[in-house]
Amino acid sequence: MDALDLARLQFALTGSLHFLFVVLTLGLAPLVAIMNTRWARTGRPLFERMTRFWGQIYVINYALGIVTGLVMEFQFGLSWSGLSHYAGDVFGAPLAMETLVAFFLESTFLGLWIFGWGRLPKWAHVACIWAVTATAYASAFFIMVANSFLQNPAGAVAAGDRLALVDAGALFTNKTLVFALPHVLGAGLFTGAMVLVGASAYQLRRRTHEQEFFTRSMKTGIVAAAVGITLTVAYGYAQFGGIQDGKFDDNPAAAVPLGLMMEGGNLLSMVVLLFMLPLIRKLPRWRWAHPLLMALTPVPFVLAILGWLARELGRQPWMIWEKLTVADAMTPGLTTGMVTASLTGFVAVLGLLAVVDYVLIARVVRRGPRDLTLGATATEQRSPALSH
Amino acid sequence: MELIWFAVFALLLAGYFALEGFDLGVGLLLPVLGRNRDDRDRMVAAIGPYVLANEVWLVAVAGTLFGVYPLLEGELLPAIYPLVVAMLLAWIVRDAGLWFRRRIGGARWRAFWDLMIVLGSLWLSFGWGLVIYAAATGFDGPLMHPLGLLLGAAVTLLFAWHGRVFLGWRLPGFAGPARTGRALLASGALAATPALALLGGGMSYMLEHSAPAATLNVLSLMVLPFAPIMVGAQVWIWRTFRPGKGADLNPSFF
Repeated sequence: MDALDLARLQFALTGSLHFLFVVLTLGLAPLVAIMNTRWARTGRPLFERMTRFWGQIYVINYALGIVTGLVMEFQFGLSWSGLSHYAGDVFGAPLAMETLVAFFLESTFLGLWIFGWGRLPKWAHVACIWAVTATAYASAFFIMVANSFLQNPAGAVAAGDRLALVDAGALFTNKTLVFALPHVLGAGLFTGAMVLVGASAYQLRRRTHEQEFFTRSMKTGIVAAAVGITLTVAYGYAQFGGIQDGKFDDNPAAAVPLGLMMEGGNLLSMVVLLFMLPLIRKLPRWRWAHPLLMALTPVPFVLAILGWLARELGRQPWMIWEKLTVADAMTPGLTTGMVTASLTGFVAVLGLLAVVDYVLIARVVRRGPRDLTLGATATEQRSPALSH
Repeated sequence: MELIWFAVFALLLAGYFALEGFDLGVGLLLPVLGRNRDDRDRMVAAIGPYVLANEVWLVAVAGTLFGVYPLLEGELLPAIYPLVVAMLLAWIVRDAGLWFRRRIGGARWRAFWDLMIVLGSLWLSFGWGLVIYAAATGFDGPLMHPLGLLLGAAVTLLFAWHGRVFLGWRLPGFAGPARTGRALLASGALAATPALALLGGGMSYMLEHSAPAATLNVLSLMVLPFAPIMVGAQVWIWRTFRPGKGADLNPSFF
């Protein structure tokens, strides 16, 4: 493999890893915010425990979203300086907005939410998690603006050997953006909802003592999954109106993931809308169905990655559609040795951390809603295993 | 407009040094002042509520670099490629240490992630010295130079001292004398000086390489409405987690 292949592989691997965590963040944030709001409104301990349990899973997942995101941000400058040279005046703006405004606020409000537990006034604390949700959605918006510009460079004209921004409105209402954004947000909600369903199914299958807790969580998950999959599929098909001509012709590397994602999405939408939703009252008690629900949990993650493969591989060989090739976008002078070293370092470290992170999440799911650090108070009864 | 965005960029970079400086400093001091697990827990808990709000300043720096100085971004980062990769890995490892250390109760688990915090903080602080040296040579010289190493050691010591002042303010009586908010402000200003030196040297070059007015106008229009919220959220952090008020009462998430 030459430096170009390696740099592409590095972006694909770190990007896919990043999105595995981001897609769950996007889904769990609004669900945790809803639980937190219910708790604030009713004061019921059930909702407090739901907020803390699913919130703990949400923040453990969030950790990997941050660290993989750091690599994504800096990779543009490290490996793809040809992109910033040619189109930085256009492409840089949404990325700057994402980091400077959206992620800046998201991280600050998340710190307030996690550490302000019990210190902030009740409704201020609720406002923080909604602010985190809103800014996470804003992040998704700006990243999709940047990505859509690569698919369809609207709002820019070539001036000399560089692109100049002439129409910001066109940049932010790109035809490859308007339906892709709700598609991604729907997929996130669906993924988060299916984690609620799968984890609850695991606990209910084991005849947990927390029947009410996980019955309630499963029902919330099923309703959210129905909303999520409907949005995802509807906006998925809607995107075909704005797609580049010939994007998936003679490009099996993109067409195959596209086909798999669509088949999988259609199948899942039928399972959710025709089976899970009508049987929402029965499913928590039907233990025979729980292994099936658990087996479905990873599927939305796989479909999300297939979706990105279709979108991004379909763009090849262009970095910016019919303007700049990926080969021309690579940093001049990048050597095989440099990329090999960074690829190894990033993939090894992030891969290991991702495994640790998933083990930690699985551990929280297995233990259920007890001994949670998130929102713990000094007076709380802790089990011997954790008190020292 | 170029001047305003240079000021924003300068504020973000200086803010990163002043704020994340004490997080890294406390990380550096873990093996020095945190002789037992309880002490280390208290030290990490002291920076816990601030880290998320502090490290994003560098994320914002990088984003602004891309949006406002796209040509520079494509020149600078590749010029110090191995250094950027190593510092990113240090940052990742430090963050992982913070997020993971309390997720499992075992002593060895926590000791391992504490070590990651120390090593990550050390390499990240030291790396900034090397970056400053690289910048001073116009990103042309070798990455490892005795002067660069010296600067690395200086930044590391500066952050460690800033971290110690922070601990004196947040955990009075924990180690060394209690410090006032004013002392913390002063040490923060001092911690920001390397960033200001970096910016002072590069100012005219950066102004010449700003993105065109059309891009900067769009950015300004979009950032301006959010600026008060950003400032407000940061102030809210400092108001909420100031010492006293039972700061140490509840178990920390980090």
